[in-house]
Order: sequence, then C-alpha cells, then structure tokens
Amino acid sequence: MKKPAFLFLLCLTLVACEKQPELSPDTLDGGLLFDASLYQPEKYLVSRATPQPTPAEAQRPVLIAVHGYSASTFEWSEFRQWAGGRTDFAVSQVLMGGHGRSYEAFKDASWRDWQASVIDEYQALERAGYRNISLVGSSTGCTVILEMLASGYFNSHQKPRQVLLVDPNVVPSDKLLTLVGVVGPLLGYVEADNTAAEDKYWYHYRPYETLRELRTVVNIVRKDLQRGFRLPAGTQLKVYKSTSDPTADPVSAVLIHKGVRTSDDKAVDVSMVNSDLHVFTRLDLRPTPVTAQDRENQRLAFEDIALRLTR
Amino acid sequence: MRLKRPASATLLWGLLPLGLLTSPARGQGAALDAGLRFQKTLNLYYENGLTVQYRSPRLLKSRLQVGLTHVSSRLGSAIGSNAIKQDNVFVSGAYLFRVERTVQPFVRLNAGWFRADYESDIFKDLTSSSPLLSTELGLLVPTRYRINAGASVGYNLITGDGSDSPGTLFPLFYQLSLTYALLKPAAP
Repeated sequence: MKKPAFLFLLCLTLVACEKQPELSPDTLDGGLLFDASLYQPEKYLVSRATPQPTPAEAQRPVLIAVHGYSASTFEWSEFRQWAGGRTDFAVSQVLMGGHGRSYEAFKDASWRDWQASVIDEYQALERAGYRNISLVGSSTGCTVILEMLASGYFNSHQKPRQVLLVDPNVVPSDKLLTLVGVVGPLLGYVEADNTAAEDKYWYHYRPYETLRELRTVVNIVRKDLQRGFRLPAGTQLKVYKSTSDPTADPVSAVLIHKGVRTSDDKAVDVSMVNSDLHVFTRLDLRPTPVTAQDRENQRLAFEDIALRLTR
Repeated sequence: MRLKRPASATLLWGLLPLGLLTSPARGQGAALDAGLRFQKTLNLYYENGLTVQYRSPRLLKSRLQVGLTHVSSRLGSAIGSNAIKQDNVFVSGAYLFRVERTVQPFVRLNAGWFRADYESDIFKDLTSSSPLLSTELGLLVPTRYRINAGASVGYNLITGDGSDSPGTLFPLFYQLSLTYALLKPAAP
C-alpha cells in the first residue's frame, strides 16, 4: 500500500515542480515588454537625470516613489503627471528589483532584491548631495520602506523628511497567503485578475516563490511593528488607507499606528480614505468605472503629499 | 458605602477553587475538565486562555465532548507589545474516537464570536468583530493524574478579507490544552 502512495506523492511533486504558465508576449511576463524606466532611467530617476545637482537643486525635495508587488513604475506615473511642471519638488520613480522585466526575473528575485532598488536610489541621491529626500510607497512598496525604518537603515544614512504610505501591505487581505508554504509548490503560480491593459504594467502570473517572499517580508514588518520602533529624528510618517481593500487589509493601518512612534514618542498620522480600491491613488486602467469620489480621494492625497514635501 | 466582606467569607471563596481541585471525583460517569488553552495562529498571534470541557455517558456514550473556551491575545502576544488585543469566545462540540484508549483522536467544531480592539477612533469604521466558525483535528491524552493534554490543528472557516471582516482573523491555528479533571468518571 505504501508504494503507490509514495509514487503518487512523487508524481505530484514532479508535476508541481514543472508548473510553468504559458506566457504571452503581450504581457509584462513575456520577456518582450519591459518597464520604460529600464530604457530611459534618466526620465524616472532623479539620480540619473541630475547626478550633479546645483546647491539649489540639492535643497529641493526629492520624493522616491516605490510601487507595489508585481507592479511597475506605472503605479506612480499619475502623481508625476499631476505634479506636472512643478519645480518645487522632484519625483524619482523606482522600479523594484525583479519587477518590470520578465516572469523568470520576477521568480528569481527575493524581497531583498525588490528593496535594493530603493536603497540604490536613496544612496545615489545621498552621494550626489541631495539634502531633502522623502519616500512614498504603495502597497508592498510601503512594506519594504517600513523594513528600512525598522532595521535601522537610516541610522547610518541621511534621515528622510517624509515617509508617506498609500495602502500599505502589512496584513494581506487574502489570508490564504499564510498557507503559501504548503499550497504554493502544488500550484506553482497564481494568476492575477488583470485587464489586458493592466497586463502591460503588472505581472499577470505570480510565481509562488514571489508569494513566499511577500509573506516573508510582511511577516518581518508585522513583527517589527509588534515590537514597536521609532522614526528617526526629523522624520514624519503618514498613512493613507482605503477603508475597504481587496489586497492590503485595512488593519495594516492599525498595526502601523500602534507600532510606529515619532522620535519624540508621538503617534503617526493616519488618514482612512473612503474607498474600496487598492492603491486608491492609481486610477488609470482601472477595470471598473472611476467615480467622482475616487477622483476626489486621489486629488486630496496628491495635494497632501505635495504639501508635506514642500512645507 | 462599601460593605466589608467577613473574613470567613473571604476564606471560603479563597479555598473553594482549592477544594474543587483536591476533592475526590464524584463524576458518576461524567467528566468535567477545566484548564488552560495555548493557541498560536499561523503567521500571527499567540492567544491563550481558559477552556472547560464536559462529557457524559448520556452524550453519545462519552464520545461527544462539549465545551466553552475563551482565548485572547491579551494573555499572549499583546502582553508588553503592540499586538492587537483580540478575544475569541466559542462553544464547541467534539467527537472522540477510541475513548477507551490512551490516545483519543477527535474532530471538533467551534462556533462563537471574535472581537478585536483597535483602540482608536480613527479606525471606528473598520469591522472589528465577526462570528467564529472553525474546525479542529487533534488528539486528547488523559493521564492518570487527572491532567489531560489535548493538541489540535484548526482552521477558521470565516477569515478577514479586507472588507467586512476583521483583518486579524487568520485561517490556520494550532493549540495545546492542559486541563484538570474536576469530575472524573469512576473506574469500571
């Protein structure tokens, strides 16, 4: 009786190991479409656009914008467009490691690789002499920023002025992510419910290896928040969180509010936004009609971000 | 005005639990166990608390065990940390197999209520409570010293989904219960 069971398990394991989706060349996964920042980094990264800033440019606020899991720089393009010709701050759109390239690149990248791009840009700006750097993240972009804060990265670096978190992902809404270690190898990957247009800017397929990385980094940050940590002196943090979110559970905002204190032991700012969108600041290419309320939420958040950068 | 409780009454209330724990069993076939439950949710909190379990020959020949349990992160992860304070109260019905043996497998169905305390008005619009419905699969090991140990793996059938349920209601948990037999069935 034991032999057939063993063979069945062996077959199941082999089948699981061979799980590979059929990749379409029309999607970001296919290896033919790449994030535009890879072709023209100087249009996205301030460190590449202005590597030797004048004293005035070095004092101007620079906002490093970090997208979420499986997304690309597109997630923050609307903010750059909204900012338009403003010259009182600059936006540096980072592409996280393993993202915006191909399914294989995504599969092989760890959460440390995702974060490395953020650190690279921060340090490049620091080396270039920029003196007013802030960070804004969406979804898992917030998670890697929170990990930088909790791990003490900024102890030996310039302190960020503002840390702004849009729909931070500390507790995923889909609680089955906690079981990825068990069911992940059997599934191989999961498929996102993207539109054809979104497939050009978000990965369509999510290898279980990346879901495991996602679970790892959210667990690390959740435990950091449970222990609690303080912001560096002079750093302010604000959370903007949809009250209903199919991807990053709104309770993520509760955990951040409880777990992070300012350097003088005050609570951080939290704004609960009446929205059911994940990353409510991104409205382009939404599969459902964008409402007037969605537009208003986006406008208010963008105005608040700009105000915090320049005040 | 506060009434002063007589010293004798204080002594009585103080000794009552001790008396219960040390008095001889008079179960006449029924078993009543009370004790501690230590629960860990996968990728989330330790939640500990109290459990009371009862079974009787009249309940499926002692194969059905009913119980009442309260576990809370207040007695676990939330001690001295920023973990969310949350409580689980549920009644349960377990079916035990091999009740005459040393190790008794069981399946259990729990139903009750979950509530989390977000501690700030900022989050007043978020759902903080939910019905609880979970199943468990485990082993019960009675010992000759009135101490019973039970361990199980459980699955919450209702979990948070980012909209209308609490976000810290996760699916998979495991638990260890250590109970004392307040009433023990008479030996055959």
